[in-house]
Amino acid sequence: MTEATMTDPSQAGASTATQPIMQVKDLAVSFDNGSGPRIQAVDGVRMTLYPRQTLAVVGESGCGKSVTAMSSMQLVPRPPGRFDRGEILFRLPADRGGQVVNLLELSESEMRQIRGNEIAMIFQEPMTSLNPVYTVGDQILEAILLHQDVTPKEAQDIAVKAMTDVGIPDPVGRLKAYPHQFSGGMRQRVMIAMALACQPRLLLADEPTTALDVTIQAQILELLKELKATRDMAVMLITHDLGVVAENADVVCVMYAGRVVEFANVYELFDNPMHPYTRGLLESIPKIHERHDRLVTIKEVVEDPEQFKKLPGADQGVTPWWPWNDAPADLASKPGPAGDYTLKLVKPGHWVGVWRTEALKDDSSPPPELDFRVAEHGEHRGDQPVG
Amino acid sequence: MGTYILRRLLLMVPTLIGMTLLVFVLIAASPGGIGAALNVSGGGQMEAGTSKAQQQAYLEDRYGLDAPIVVQYVRWLGRVSPVKFGRRDLVSPTGEVIRSPRPIDPPMHWREFGGALPEVEQAETAFAFDPGATGEDKSRAYRRASQGYTRVRAEYVLARAGYEQTVGEALRAIGLDRHVNRDGTMKPGTPGSAVRAVLDDAEQGPIAEAAFDDAIARYADAIEGRRELKAVFDARPFPPAGVPILPNTLSLAAPDLGMSFARGRPVLTLITDALPNTLLLNLMAIPIIYFIAVPSGMLAATRRGGLFDVLSGGLYVALWSIPIVWACVLMLGFLANKETGLGWFPVTGLNSIEGEGMTWLPSTAPDGTFVRGFVLDTLWHMCLPVAALVYAGFAVLSKQTRAAMLDNFNADYVRTAKAKGVRSRDIVLRHVFRNSLLPIITMFVSIFPAMLGGSVVVERVFSVPGMGNLVIEAIFLRDREVLLANALIIGLVNMLALLLADVLYALADPRVSYD
Repeated sequence: MTEATMTDPSQAGASTATQPIMQVKDLAVSFDNGSGPRIQAVDGVRMTLYPRQTLAVVGESGCGKSVTAMSSMQLVPRPPGRFDRGEILFRLPADRGGQVVNLLELSESEMRQIRGNEIAMIFQEPMTSLNPVYTVGDQILEAILLHQDVTPKEAQDIAVKAMTDVGIPDPVGRLKAYPHQFSGGMRQRVMIAMALACQPRLLLADEPTTALDVTIQAQILELLKELKATRDMAVMLITHDLGVVAENADVVCVMYAGRVVEFANVYELFDNPMHPYTRGLLESIPKIHERHDRLVTIKEVVEDPEQFKKLPGADQGVTPWWPWNDAPADLASKPGPAGDYTLKLVKPGHWVGVWRTEALKDDSSPPPELDFRVAEHGEHRGDQPVG
Repeated sequence: MGTYILRRLLLMVPTLIGMTLLVFVLIAASPGGIGAALNVSGGGQMEAGTSKAQQQAYLEDRYGLDAPIVVQYVRWLGRVSPVKFGRRDLVSPTGEVIRSPRPIDPPMHWREFGGALPEVEQAETAFAFDPGATGEDKSRAYRRASQGYTRVRAEYVLARAGYEQTVGEALRAIGLDRHVNRDGTMKPGTPGSAVRAVLDDAEQGPIAEAAFDDAIARYADAIEGRRELKAVFDARPFPPAGVPILPNTLSLAAPDLGMSFARGRPVLTLITDALPNTLLLNLMAIPIIYFIAVPSGMLAATRRGGLFDVLSGGLYVALWSIPIVWACVLMLGFLANKETGLGWFPVTGLNSIEGEGMTWLPSTAPDGTFVRGFVLDTLWHMCLPVAALVYAGFAVLSKQTRAAMLDNFNADYVRTAKAKGVRSRDIVLRHVFRNSLLPIITMFVSIFPAMLGGSVVVERVFSVPGMGNLVIEAIFLRDREVLLANALIIGLVNMLALLLADVLYALADPRVSYD
């Protein structure tokens, strides 16, 4: 496997000396669009994920959240997809050498050792994500037998354990049931059991609760939180629901149009959103104690020029990047794609995507990384502003 | 599942009845009717001096063609139905089903000629075999009675036809043409007044009277013969057919497919001779189609747009586009014919003439020459027919497989499997293919019955004595019994194949359930 280096967690909110488990560096992924120009799904994305941390990736449909996650599993269909630039660095566990590999450069067979084993993924659609013609047991066992050197009997025990862990009643009997005999919430539990059966160190949860109703959503998220705590696992939680973010995330990464527009820990982000888009997202949430005739839309926020003049150093030309606005006059693009943009550390532990103006020509903000976990601070989430 | 299958099996009965009725009506409605071919072929057995009308009357009586279409159909249904009503039929030692002799109609307008019918209401003659009579004796007695009756009945039918023709001519002579058929016989619905007009005519009256006297005398002989035969029949010279459910009312028996008009042999024998040949061809052809088309469709799907996909798709469609008759002729000309081609394969049949005398397996004769044996000989003869059946079948199946696979490649569970770290080969075989089985099963169901009936061209060109050949000949000869039996069998196979497909669906896809 290819060796690569990972930036040391030095600046910003790093509290301990733990090393990041995954780091996305300047990732750019594009898709062939037949006769038209290639579609740049993700461009210059950077983010870092620490063990036992939940990183929420937030943004609207098509902003590149899923592509980022799928790229780290090499699940982006290629062609039409293509990795243009960047790296996704992943730290292997100590018993497998502990070195850092670039997931984008791994061969298919090397990748198979990672998938399901080191990194597992659960998807938005529990209805269709399970193979309808095999029993749930078959599908969980398949994952276990692929990655663990166990007999089928032992694998069965592991599967039963996994199903018990995710709260499926009568796991032994349910192993023989087919996916269509489960409800949506139970199917998502099965997906999670399958993902966790091999004790992955990173779980990519791609909108795991979008297709479920609210009570089931809460159960599933609670389950993920519990499992993260008991299994020492990092979670990348992809969602567009800020309520889910507030309840579950340690660090939040807001994406728009294939780029990161804001990266901060969950308290900082909700207390002090710095990008107008983030502010728009937060303001559009109805608040239970405030009375509105109509809700604030994101559009109202991002179409207000004043909103773009609030960053520290705004008078020197630090302007939030926003694809629908005209670029500032003193733009000093670097050559290459996404050269007009940089993810600037505007204050300790808080990164915002800004235009690369003259003032930021040689900006060398550290990559976004926060070794931050809510639980370690012992604070109660209920005190925080929640959507 | 069991209830479902039972219900489907029961539903087959009305479907089969409807289907065979349709075929029956089609045969009856064809120009010349059911007996058309008999008129051409059957006359040779007649004595010289019989008129065409008499020949036809004889044949119609013999095959029951004089009854209305519906009656004929119901009679056929009664023979084919495994559920029999009334007294049980008998089965001769040769396996022929023997029925009670059919009643016999008196000549038309016997009332106009005065006098009564000869002793129609006679009491039944009691007949009993000697207690010590052997099966042989009983069989001989029945055969004697049967032959006697056949002769007197035939004589009566001929005399009756002669009578009808004579009266017809007489009607024409006195100017009552509208009661005369085109062939010169009197029409069945002729009113009594017309017949009386003939009798009143000084010239025609005596001629008609003489013809009637002849017919009525033969009628007396015929009903006497029938009564004797019935007495022997009732004494049960042979064991009864089937198993009784209710004595003398309801019984179960094997369907009787009847005798072929054209060949004079039981239809069942014809089919049991022909079916194995067709099955042999198809049991070779269908697996070849599947083993080539399904994997290549899978491969084409995994390498979509690649060289293999394009080439195999193109090749199959090209093959599919070749007309089968032309392909057969080309094969014969280039591969089988020794003068114009390579002469590698035999031209006709499923076996060489010497094939019958060969050993089963290949062997070496005492003088050191190689004898290919019956099995090898058959395989050698089957090469070209099977190739002709197979070449066009790849396209549809492989395209279907490819499309089904591509559908499933984009399914979410494939992404899940990939995310688990399953190898691409296992994803294709275990996840995608298993989910693509349904269209493949559907194809199997449509291919199998179609091939059973549809190898007509191939069997014809290569002179394979199979079902296709049998059917096409029966169509030419309007061989009612063979056609109906074929319709019945092909319909049954079709419906069983559909049922099989539904059962296979349930096995292939756990979401399908019939309970």
